[in-house]
Amino acid sequence: MRLRRLTLQNFRNIAMAELSFAGRQQFFVGPNGQGKTNLLEAVGFVTALRSFRTADTRLLLAQGQREAAIACDFEHEVQGATKLVIRLHGEGKEVACDGERVTRLADHLGRFPTVVFSSQDQQLIRGAPALRRRWLDLTLAGTDPVYLHGLQNYHRALAGRNQLLKRQAATAELAAFEQPLGAAAAALVAARRRGVAALAPHVAAGYAQISAGAETADITYAEDSAPGDGDAAAWHAHFARTRARDLQFRGTMSGPHRDDIDLRVGARAARDFGSEGQQRSLVLALRLAQVSHVRECTGIEPVLLADDVLGELDPTRRRRFWAALGEARQVLATGTELPDAELGAWDVFRVAGGGFAAEAGP
Amino acid sequence: MTPAFEKLQQALKQLPGVGYRSAERMALHLLVEKPAQLPALVAALESAARTVRRCSRCGNLAEGELCNLCEDARRDGAVVCVVEHVPDLVAMERSGAYRGVYHVLHGRLSPIQGVGPADINFAALEARVRSGEVRELILALSNDVEGEATCHFITQHLAAETAAGGAPIKVSRIGFGLPSGGGVLYADAVTLKSALDGRRDYV
Ligand SMILES: [Zn+2]
Repeated sequence: MRLRRLTLQNFRNIAMAELSFAGRQQFFVGPNGQGKTNLLEAVGFVTALRSFRTADTRLLLAQGQREAAIACDFEHEVQGATKLVIRLHGEGKEVACDGERVTRLADHLGRFPTVVFSSQDQQLIRGAPALRRRWLDLTLAGTDPVYLHGLQNYHRALAGRNQLLKRQAATAELAAFEQPLGAAAAALVAARRRGVAALAPHVAAGYAQISAGAETADITYAEDSAPGDGDAAAWHAHFARTRARDLQFRGTMSGPHRDDIDLRVGARAARDFGSEGQQRSLVLALRLAQVSHVRECTGIEPVLLADDVLGELDPTRRRRFWAALGEARQVLATGTELPDAELGAWDVFRVAGGGFAAEAGP
Repeated sequence: MTPAFEKLQQALKQLPGVGYRSAERMALHLLVEKPAQLPALVAALESAARTVRRCSRCGNLAEGELCNLCEDARRDGAVVCVVEHVPDLVAMERSGAYRGVYHVLHGRLSPIQGVGPADINFAALEARVRSGEVRELILALSNDVEGEATCHFITQHLAAETAAGGAPIKVSRIGFGLPSGGGVLYADAVTLKSALDGRRDYV
């Protein structure tokens, strides 16, 4: 899909912006703190109706304002010309697609895909397992409502069991919640394994395109515990078996909410042995895999949001990364300086104090 | 606004699904805009408060000790359909397909909302089963984590019980799937998955 027009109102430091995008690449240039990332955040919001920077929607409202709005005109592979309007207020959000109210997240997910490339992304490799699980969950849930439903079920059953553990509840009550928890755990692990297996070739291909080295990249799903056949009965038995220990800790100490994703470069753990450059290449490959996955599952080409990532790459990687993005996709990028001419023609916008000024074309 | 008005508004706001604004609208409607309706409402409230209660056997609405379903001799008292709320029972009755009796739990297990076995109408169900009057339990609880856990809890507690005469109790759970008349095309992905998981042998 292509974003052709973007209107923002009271979104963070952007009081009002109306931008038209004619070409395939838009570049937002200016000093830090002027509103470049805020604009990408607004565009990214349309995908899953959440910000890639904060879970608290109220932070998105400009100071002292009670409502903010994001309006997008898309050229869409499936839906044709589409207008999406999102209103944010203190209590929540309202979404309308071509004037029709969207009431269920599951109906919306996957229809307006974007993928964010951020300078924070290296945390995916260096940070805690929770970040990698979140990346995987968002990637898979973004194209599959059944995955989202299963993930929500697992967390609901887990919250139930944890509450009972905290209260030192009777065995019968705990056992009752271990039944749906076991079923949800088995389904979640199986779906994540399938998802990682589908993503792995894309990661390897992306890495090969970006990296100058001969080594290969590879991702696998790493289970914290893998009881028996991994079916619902085995997981149910696992939670029954660990009940006494979990009662002592007052929480569920094992399960898919503890799982991780192993990232390797040249058969060695990227976190511990990868060089700075290898880690940078791998993180871009993970995001590129997300792009390919969305494309494969939905038939929709996501809009790429590159937040200050170009400046961090050496010239060779930057050129290879740009080539890997492909000719077909729209890219909205930010930076403190304009990119090299070799990265193609851009619609350039100067950003200052929450305002955006289009620069005349070459 | 007057103190008495505000007191009424506060009381209305406690009702399920009623927020501050709708409470204000209701209070204005009853007191100022259509005050002629008020005596009938007050009388209905007082009368209902005096006479309506839970059926001592099944938890359904009743005006005597037992509800009209429990008193109906034509219903099969040995087959008990367990539901969460009275409206679920009403929906089952509307189907006209069921000739047994009911048990209303008035809730389901939900640790997150602080609801345990003692907070729902479970002890009465246990007593009914222990008395030997029940031959079959049909669980018609919701198709989600809490509904599933509640089904499991009931089954674990009562599966070992026997009906009068010593036969084991039969326990089943209603199926979930496509709405009838609704084709595969219009079902959402999660409903389709549920229908697929619950498929039955054919032929
Ligand atoms: Zn009754």
